[in-house]
Amino acid sequence: MRIVRLSLANFRNYIRLETAFPRGAILLAGPNAQGKTSLLEAVYLFTHARSPLADNDRQLINFLALREEQPFARLEAEVEDSNGPLRLELRLFYERTTAGEPRFRKDVLVNGVKRKPSELPGVFRALLFLPQELRVVEGAPSDRRRHLDEAAAQADPPYRTAMWDYHHALTQRNALLRALQEGGGDPSQLDVWDEPLAAAGSALLLGRARALAEIETLAAPLHRRLTHGLETLHIRYHPAWDPSRPAGDADGLQHELPIDAVVDHTKWKADQVRGMFLDHLRATRDQAVRRGLTIAGPHRDEVRFLANGIDLTTYGSRGQARTAILALKLAEVEWLRARGGEWPVLLLDEVFSELDMRRREDLLADLACADQVFTTASDPEMLPAGYRECAQAWWVEGGTLKPYSPETEKS
Amino acid sequence: MTLPKPVSRLIEQFQRLPGVGPKTASRLVYHLLRVPEEQARNLGEALLDLHAQTRFCSVCFNITDVSTDPCAVCRDDKRDGSLLCVVEAPLDVQAVERAQGFHGRYHVLHGAISPVEGIGPENLKIGELVERVRKGGVQEVILATNPSMEGEATAMYIHRALQGQGVRVTRLARGLPVGGDLEYTDETTLAKALEGRSAM
Ligand SMILES: Nc1ncnc2c1ncn2[C@@H]1O[C@H](COP(=O)(O)OP(=O)(O)OP(=O)(O)O)[C@@H](O)[C@H]1O
Ligand SMILES: [Mg+2]
Ligand SMILES: [Zn+2]
Repeated sequence: MRIVRLSLANFRNYIRLETAFPRGAILLAGPNAQGKTSLLEAVYLFTHARSPLADNDRQLINFLALREEQPFARLEAEVEDSNGPLRLELRLFYERTTAGEPRFRKDVLVNGVKRKPSELPGVFRALLFLPQELRVVEGAPSDRRRHLDEAAAQADPPYRTAMWDYHHALTQRNALLRALQEGGGDPSQLDVWDEPLAAAGSALLLGRARALAEIETLAAPLHRRLTHGLETLHIRYHPAWDPSRPAGDADGLQHELPIDAVVDHTKWKADQVRGMFLDHLRATRDQAVRRGLTIAGPHRDEVRFLANGIDLTTYGSRGQARTAILALKLAEVEWLRARGGEWPVLLLDEVFSELDMRRREDLLADLACADQVFTTASDPEMLPAGYRECAQAWWVEGGTLKPYSPETEKS
Repeated sequence: MTLPKPVSRLIEQFQRLPGVGPKTASRLVYHLLRVPEEQARNLGEALLDLHAQTRFCSVCFNITDVSTDPCAVCRDDKRDGSLLCVVEAPLDVQAVERAQGFHGRYHVLHGAISPVEGIGPENLKIGELVERVRKGGVQEVILATNPSMEGEATAMYIHRALQGQGVRVTRLARGLPVGGDLEYTDETTLAKALEGRSAM
C-alpha cells in the first residue's frame, strides 16, 4: 500500500499543498510547529476519517479558513496497492440545516462516489506511531479500546461493522434508558434495541478476543527481542460483560474472576454469546433504567499488558511502556500484512527520539521492506545514517514542502 | 451594500432549503426578479397551496388533496385491501409505486423509532396501524421500513404489536440494489442479502 499523490486545502497549517510521494523511505525534516505531524495526520485520516490528534473534526480546518463565510477543508489522495490505484477524498465543511443553522459535515468519497465514513476502514491501510501513544499502555481503558478498534477495523471488515452497529444501538438504547429513567414508560420498548445491541456486542467481543489473541502471538517474540530476552509480554482481554463469568446475583452483576485468570474467549460461538448477552441485558434491565444507561458491555472492556506477569498500566516504568507499545505496533503491522496481504503505509512520528540507537536500527531493519514509510524528525541526526542516505527527504516549513538533502545542508 | 428587504428575505428563505447555499439562493432570487411577474406569482401560489390544499389521508396517512379524503389509493376498488405495505414516509410510497409490483394499500408511519431524536412509537402512526388491522380485512402486513437500525427497530416493534391479530407479517427482503455489481457491494448488504435469500 502506498500514497502516490496528496493534495490538501485548508487542512491545519496547509493552505494549499500538492505533492507526489515515492515508494520506500520518506523523511520529513524541519523545525518545530511547521507541519510535520500534521502531514502524517492528513495521510492517516484516509484510514478512518477520524484523527487521533483532534478532539473534533472542526480543529482540522485551517484557522483562517474558519473565518470565511463557508469554511471548508479538502484532502485528496491517490493511493495504490496491488489491486491498482484508488482516489480518496475527504471534505470537511459547514452546510445549512432546514432551520438555517450552520452544521458541520464530513463527506467521504472513494473514486468520486460518496461513501459512509463507516465504510472507509480497510480501503486504505496505514499505521501511525505517535510519541503520545504511550497512553495506550499508561492511560485509561478507553485509550486501549480506541487503539484496538482502529487497528482491527482496518484488518477485519466484520469487526468494523460490529463496532459501528454496537455504538449506534448503544446510543439509541441509552437515550431510551434516560427517557425511561426520567419520564417512566414501558420498559418493553427496550426489546427492539436489546436485539441489535446483543448481535453487534457479541460480534465485537469475539472480534476483540480473536484480534488480541493474534496480536499477542505476534507481539510476544518482538517484545522478547526488544528486551533482549528479559521480559515476556502477555496481552489479556477483560470483557466488561464476560460470557466466561458466572451469571451473577439478583441484580445480574457478574462475579469477578481472579485478575490473573487466563480465559480463552475465542472458543465461544457467536450465537451462544449473543443469546447470553441478550439474557444479561434483560436481567439487568431494571437496574439500567434506574441508572439511565447500559451497564456492562464492550463499551467498558479493558485490555491489559503484562510483562513478566506485571500489569504495565499500573506498575510499568516509562521504558517498559515504550517497549511494549513498540512491540504492539510492530505486531499490528505484521497482523495487517497477514490479514490484507500488503504492508500498510507506516507513519512514524518522532519515534526515533524515544529509542536508543540500537533499537532505532532494530526498528528500521524490521520496517525496511515496507512499501512506504514516512518518518518525521525535527533533528535528522537522530536517524541512523543508513536511513538518512536511502530516504527521500523533504523540508517542512510553514505548511510547505520542498525537497531537501540532509548531507548537503550540513556542509 | 444592503439589499432591499424583499430580496434579502427571499434569499434567506431559499437558504433554508436542503442543498442550497448563499450563492445558489442569490442566483435563484435574481433569476426570479427577471422572469415575468406572472411566473413568480404562480410559484408563490403553488407554495401557499402546498400546505393549505393538502392533508393526511385519514386512513393511510399519506399526503392527499384536501378535497380527497380518503386518498385515491384508499378509494381505489381495484387495489387489494388485504395487503398493507407499511412505510416510513410519503416519498417511500412513491418509490414502491414506481417499482410497480405492488397492488395493495399503504400505511405511512411518518418516521421511525429513534430515542436519540425523542421519537417513540407513540409519535408515529403505529397505534392507528394496529387499529386498522384490528378492524379486519387485512391478511398480510409488509413492513417496508428502511434497512437502517431505526427502520429495523420500528419493524420489530410493529411485528410485536401485531402479534395475536391473526395477520401474516413480512419484512421486505434486503437484497442487493438492482444494477449493483456484486464485487462493489458492501459486506453488510451482501451479508443481509445472503441471510434473507429465498428459494428459486
Ligand atoms: N486548524 C489549524 N489551522 C492552522 N494552523 C494549525 C491548525 N491546527 C494546528 N495548526 C498549527 O500547525 C502547526 C504545525 O503543527 P505540527 O504538529 O504539524 O508541527 P510539527 O512540524 O510536527 O512540529 P514538532 O516538531 O513540534 O512536532 C502548528 O504551529 C500548529 O499550531
Ligand atoms: Mg510533530
Ligand atoms: Zn389513504
